Amino acid sequence: MRNYEIMFIVNPTIPEEEIDKINAQIEGIVTTGGGKIEKIEKMGKRRLSYEIDRHREGYYVLFVIVANGDIIKECERRLRVMDPIIKYITVRTDEEARRLEKIRNYRQKRAARRDRGATAAPAQSIEEAMQ
Amino acid sequence: MRSVKEKRPAGQKQYYRRKKVCKFCVERIDVINYKDVKLLSQFVPERAKIMPRRISGVCSRHQRQLNDAIKKARNIALLPFATE
Repeated sequence: MRNYEIMFIVNPTIPEEEIDKINAQIEGIVTTGGGKIEKIEKMGKRRLSYEIDRHREGYYVLFVIVANGDIIKECERRLRVMDPIIKYITVRTDEEARRLEKIRNYRQKRAARRDRGATAAPAQSIEEAMQ
Repeated sequence: MRSVKEKRPAGQKQYYRRKKVCKFCVERIDVINYKDVKLLSQFVPERAKIMPRRISGVCSRHQRQLNDAIKKARNIALLPFATE
């Protein structure tokens, strides 16, 4: 199981309930496939940076989920066939999160070491930890 | 990154160009998220091209992460590919 973020843009002219319906559908796919929803965020209407299919505005929705490849495949297929969906993107986040945790741990350890009275460790080693 | 470490004594070398430092290293921004439009847009000037490192002073690691983030953001129309 991996962590993913799916962000998609819905046609802003359709009513709010429709968006909820789409969200429920995606949620259904994820949960029946054995995945877990961590967050559903409706980011609201935003101007698109460029025109997509004559749309200048879009309603952004963000899903943070724990899932596997099959679930993601199914979600993407469904998003593709749904008419009000203008565009979507899926991003894998677990690798990034792991890296972040490593840095955090390192910083904490370093801070603890400094508290015990040692002078500042060489700055160079932060970079090593970040890799 | 090394440049962050070096602290010039005040008043010295004042004729030289200011040493550029990587914003992400200085502010300890670990993850450059594609959703953070406000942050990313600082690195895409008017024409919506990605700002080169030699101008922004971002270190190579962070420039790489920044590149990825900007490209993701472009994909989902948070940032433009080009303007006019």
